[in-house]
Amino acid sequence: MSRIDLDHVWKIYPRGDVVAVQDVSFVCKEKEFLAILGPSGGGKSSTLRMLAGLEEISRGTISFDGEAVNEMGPAERNVALAFESYALYQRLTVYENIAFPLKARGMKKTEVNKKVKDMAELMDLIPVLDTYPAELAGGHQQRVSLARAFIRKPNVTLLDEPISHMDQRVRAELRARIRRLHDDLGLTTIYVTHDQAEAISLCDRLAILNEAKLQQIGTVDEIWNSPASRFVAYFVGEPAMNFVEGMVEKGKRAVVATTEGKAVLPYTGTVEEKYIGSKITIGFRPQQVIISRKKIDQGALVGSVRIIEFQGDTSVLTIKLADEGGTEVKAVVEASQRYQPAESVWILIKPDTIHLFDGNHPVLHRNGFQKS
Amino acid sequence: MAEVRLENVSKYYGRKRAVQNLNITCGEGEFFSIVGPTGAGKSTTLKMIAGIESITHGTIYFNEKPVNDLPPQERNVSMAFESYNLYPHMSVYDNIAFPLRAPRWRMHLTQQDEERRVREIAEFLGIADLLERLPQHLSGGQKQRVSLARALVRKPEVYLLDEPIAHLDARLKFSTQTLLKEFATTYRSTIIYVTHDYREALGLSDRMVVLRKGRIEQMDTPEEVYNRPATDFVGKLIGEPPMNIIDGEVVTKDGKTLFNVGDIFTISIRDDKVESMKRVARRENGRTVSRLGIRCEHINISRNRMSENSFQMPVYAIVHEAESSVVTFELGETFFYVRTRGEEGFRDYRVEEKVWLDFDQDNIFFYENTIDISKM
Repeated sequence: MSRIDLDHVWKIYPRGDVVAVQDVSFVCKEKEFLAILGPSGGGKSSTLRMLAGLEEISRGTISFDGEAVNEMGPAERNVALAFESYALYQRLTVYENIAFPLKARGMKKTEVNKKVKDMAELMDLIPVLDTYPAELAGGHQQRVSLARAFIRKPNVTLLDEPISHMDQRVRAELRARIRRLHDDLGLTTIYVTHDQAEAISLCDRLAILNEAKLQQIGTVDEIWNSPASRFVAYFVGEPAMNFVEGMVEKGKRAVVATTEGKAVLPYTGTVEEKYIGSKITIGFRPQQVIISRKKIDQGALVGSVRIIEFQGDTSVLTIKLADEGGTEVKAVVEASQRYQPAESVWILIKPDTIHLFDGNHPVLHRNGFQKS
Repeated sequence: MAEVRLENVSKYYGRKRAVQNLNITCGEGEFFSIVGPTGAGKSTTLKMIAGIESITHGTIYFNEKPVNDLPPQERNVSMAFESYNLYPHMSVYDNIAFPLRAPRWRMHLTQQDEERRVREIAEFLGIADLLERLPQHLSGGQKQRVSLARALVRKPEVYLLDEPIAHLDARLKFSTQTLLKEFATTYRSTIIYVTHDYREALGLSDRMVVLRKGRIEQMDTPEEVYNRPATDFVGKLIGEPPMNIIDGEVVTKDGKTLFNVGDIFTISIRDDKVESMKRVARRENGRTVSRLGIRCEHINISRNRMSENSFQMPVYAIVHEAESSVVTFELGETFFYVRTRGEEGFRDYRVEEKVWLDFDQDNIFFYENTIDISKM
């Protein structure tokens, strides 16, 4: 399957002069599963439509395996598409739906039959081949839609939010199936979604688009631990990264002014000299802190528990800090740890999980990244 | 604030049963959620409490006073629906202020007091900058928050909220959920909350009820419902991935009671769990079959054998979460899921690699067969 190159790609809609995609360049490697993540209006859909050939490329080049596809139609590009809405032919059986792309190419009946059976086997659709889409549950219909997309061995598979609206019982299963299919068939897959959990679950790498521009591309670990901007830091992760106002001091430490003086937070990595002594935004993830009921003298912020939201195997605490602004932050704890409202807790922030931002710019750099 | 009690409440539409014999008490100041799939009877129940659906059988009490014959406006409830029901010709401000002006409640607020209360709730829900707009100029998510603000602006006996945050995008949904919890904690209000999303119910509720086809499957605290689902149905409905539900044959051998899943694995069931396993066992084709339930975080996974009860299976697929991974296995007609968190190399398992699995028997349950667990 193909490697995909976007080289300085723009999408400008002449009406109203709207720039939907601005100078975006990235590579999706052969057999890679790449997720494009961003808020609505960020440029994801326009990018997907340009990849599919449904939308003209205003400037720049998209190539598959080094060959420009700008002038090719969707059929010539051999891309498979599956959307949030299944778009199945209601008057055709499941078998006929899956066979459709093959028949459209004039493939022989015996060959079609074999290919459809193989694909149906892979997607556990054998028992329903003779039924009509309307008789099937949503998860089943989406599987038919995926089977139809994959059957003609596409160069590139494009998926547009095929899971996010499904109920939770089906979501876990479809995620596993899509990832397995991608691996088994050796596909190159680009997956567009606004749902960060969905993107994280499936991809090898993540491309983040916002305001028409590429914000960052990297593995989940890279984006999680070394976000390129405060926007990316905030956008990826639920609950989102916490931000507290503080200051950088000498000796690799950030400080937060509190009602009782100051809290000292040592960090690893380096900050440019010019930031020493200046105001800074300190970021840390709710998933990476340790909560303690006992006082911790250094590396922790103290606060009181305001809200406890149980999630199953974890709970999310909303904690009001004893800093000058009374900032609210979140922490994810094991659900077996019970906390009470108004209880005092210390939030231990490990030195290698601290982020520092000057406005939107990260200013704390670590050589290579270390998983905490 | 009132206590709300449903006593043997049923609702029939002609011959069709919507809810049957519900006995539910929502205590004063309690946040109580009604959860279930589409068609479970959640909204019907809420509408009977509100007085906009008649009650076929049974009685609904507010503070021990029957309200069956009271029309909605005399029950002193505040409602928000999934369909926002905003007055299209009124500004957001006037929509929110509407319940404060209703003659029925004789509130007679001064202009200043009214404005203070409208602004307070609008700021709380992050819509203060929309007050001058008309509903037609709002997005779906904004309309939903206006609808919620209108429900929360007054202090009634009971708040009845039907999917009030269902149409917000993910980020806003979570933050609004936190606000609702804060509201409930601050005012100790009686809130009855309908949702199909188990996460909202777990996060918000003091207690919750799971409905299925008009009947109660389980009524308890979120912790109990999650940690000890009463039925296979509840296990599958609550949690993502859902609870693993596995059918196996009960075999006694050398004084041990075994749970045997085809030629895939056999585990020895701990003595204190044997009785519950046998209690729900059924005969199928001459064999004794039982149904085991275990959540994905209670299965240990390793490249090394962990105990006598460990067994090996090939990995079907791996999907990731921010600080954990879910490893999926194919088991005949079903999938099952194992969550790995924090351990060294938790991202490194490979497709088709055979790994060792081990069930934490403190957290296994046995269920009667009430749902079809074959692949959906």
